[in-house]
Amino acid sequence: MIRRALVVALLIAVAVPLLLAMSQLPPHGSPDTPPNTHVSPYYLEHGAEEGGAENIVTAVILNYRGFDTEGEVTVIFTSMAAVLAVLMLAKPDRAPRVAPTPELPVSVVVRFIVRVLAPFIAMFAIYVILNGHVTPGGGFQGGTILGALVIALSLVLSREDADALLPRKPEHLLQAAAPIAFFLVGMAGLLYWGEYLYFPRDEAQRWIGVLMLTIIEIGIGVGGACVLIRIFRAMRTE
Amino acid sequence: MSTIFDITLILLLIACSVAVVRLKDLLAATVVFSTYSLTMCLLWLHRGAPDVAMTEAAVGAGITTVLFLIAISRTTGRER
Repeated sequence: MIRRALVVALLIAVAVPLLLAMSQLPPHGSPDTPPNTHVSPYYLEHGAEEGGAENIVTAVILNYRGFDTEGEVTVIFTSMAAVLAVLMLAKPDRAPRVAPTPELPVSVVVRFIVRVLAPFIAMFAIYVILNGHVTPGGGFQGGTILGALVIALSLVLSREDADALLPRKPEHLLQAAAPIAFFLVGMAGLLYWGEYLYFPRDEAQRWIGVLMLTIIEIGIGVGGACVLIRIFRAMRTE
Repeated sequence: MSTIFDITLILLLIACSVAVVRLKDLLAATVVFSTYSLTMCLLWLHRGAPDVAMTEAAVGAGITTVLFLIAISRTTGRER
């Protein structure tokens, strides 16, 4: 009873300062707050011609905040390595304490629907990746859809067919596709314009900027998909 | 109208999160959690963030659910 009261008191002690701080925040979307009076209008006015992307989110993520995103994709890759390291710590001689439930046969309905929808999902994922600079979406979103598609397919296909979807050998390279694509594009900027991760700004070289954005988007998409598939496989077979 | 829609979604979110904590059956909790993600996805879309909505639908409702299901299939599936 005393313990319960202590927990409630602690929760209130944490909640009250947080709620007080929240009440001091400017209203959501207010045009008079500092973030909305300096940086945002600039991005909105110049993003389309400077950033090489009509979708302002992509222009900010890949162009204005390119360094942040490069760090983020490296974090995703590193976290996959950490997850795999934890999953592979389990020694083969240490048998699981609970017997895993036997694999049930997949229902005919699920198998049929996944197989029929698969090409359309794949096309949608590729569309989202390649159109990231025009429409909402991009590498992260399309890559996740692609990864989810392969996971869904490997639930309904036989083990050999599922493994053939992403062979073991190129998998290791493809998992690192996002940092590699960022590094290559960044180095291209360093060698050609003398600035790491430089995107050309004038109208004549616009297509080069779009090409660089597309390379990064494809890298992020392929890398993200492979990371998700790898974690799924490690959890399933371990 | 728009505010009513938002409030409905937020109430659904609160109901889902309470249910996830209270449910003893982990399979049911996973399904409710994926409902939470889909509601969140609608909310993102309604607040004008289609990028985040797509990520939420694919990661939150799709992939995390699959990973949770695999984890449950390797345990007893009940919370003690």
